[in-house]
Amino acid sequence: MRLRTVVSSLALISLLSTVPLFAHHGNAAYETDKAVELKSATVTKFVWGNPHTFLMFDVKDEKGNVVHWAGEAGSPSSLSLLGWTKDSVQPGDVITVYIYQSKTGRPVGRLNHIVLPDGTELKDSALGYREK
Amino acid sequence: MKRYVLPSVAVAAALISGLLAVAQDTPTKRSGQVEQRPPSTYQKMAAEGPGGPAPVHDMTGFWNGPLEPKFGETPSLTAFGESKFKKNIPDPFSAHSNDPWRVCDPFGFPRSATNETRGLAFAPMPEGIVIMTQYQKIWRMVWMDGRELPKNVGTRGGSSSRWYGYSIGHWDGDNTLVVETTGVDDSTWIDRRGYPHSVDMHVTERYTRVDRNDLELSVTIDDPKMYTKPFLEVTNKFKFTPKQLEDEQLCVPSQAIDYLNTIAIPAGQDEVGQK
Repeated sequence: MRLRTVVSSLALISLLSTVPLFAHHGNAAYETDKAVELKSATVTKFVWGNPHTFLMFDVKDEKGNVVHWAGEAGSPSSLSLLGWTKDSVQPGDVITVYIYQSKTGRPVGRLNHIVLPDGTELKDSALGYREK
Repeated sequence: MKRYVLPSVAVAAALISGLLAVAQDTPTKRSGQVEQRPPSTYQKMAAEGPGGPAPVHDMTGFWNGPLEPKFGETPSLTAFGESKFKKNIPDPFSAHSNDPWRVCDPFGFPRSATNETRGLAFAPMPEGIVIMTQYQKIWRMVWMDGRELPKNVGTRGGSSSRWYGYSIGHWDGDNTLVVETTGVDDSTWIDRRGYPHSVDMHVTERYTRVDRNDLELSVTIDDPKMYTKPFLEVTNKFKFTPKQLEDEQLCVPSQAIDYLNTIAIPAGQDEVGQK
């Protein structure tokens, strides 16, 4: 009887723990199992703003066509705790981007982290703690 | 068997509420992964001691809070309140919500005290105290000179409603500031969940400075048009800001619209039900 009670409690906890916890912003739109690595990404725009900061950059695909990407990260308040500033990333910078792409397959996603030309790594406040 | 059900549910509820409490201020940690997100100033301050006794009738300065407060009771809506609540679709990140936050419309009050609560400040003014909110750099004048709140706000011949209403305050004992507010524009929501209010809503804030470094807040709402009874909307806890360094947090309309067009819509955020 006790074992059954424990099992049923664990089952209930397990079920309820799948309910999204109250958070600032969910990431259900993104493939968060694995980040896509995008090398030689040329930054075109960096918006340091609320509700979320985002980055726009161009990357050539395997056929040599330029693809315009956009990736969001946390708010300035959250990112500044991780070393970001309004001027960390600037148009023209060539960087490496690790990004969780949208499930739609479009070139948009949530950043895991970026690597600046000098090797500095900047992580996202929500998903940057994840392994790539 | 039945006698085990309640304890099981109680244990589960306790564990879940613990999870929720942790989730509010810390990122989810997956097994085998190293958490790298540094603690916020507020989280660092949690370990700070009281710093001495609270000064009398003085809350002057900047205070750090958590990202969001703790919600109190579930509001009990009237039929009219329910009809209003159903029309409100929260989510600042959705192109299809009607959340005022989506395009950085003013939070209004009490949403300014129930949403994005990382920073708060008090400053003395002639005849009163001004309460400031870091997010959107909001200020509210609280008259402490004994005047009464305006009546019949929003009616012909009465005062106009305002985004942040009209506020009066008084001290209850040495360390509690009580603020009463009414006359808030009814296009605003009381919180990020989308609960509505009328112009006649009466909000009571109680700020208690427990010691030099700790401030506690409760916000209660009385609005018979929308709710069947007064209720505790939120409680919150603030820490006196070290070196008084405040942050700048502005929701900028052009950036929010840019975000929706560049990120939220292409990413299909509405399609996965982000509400």
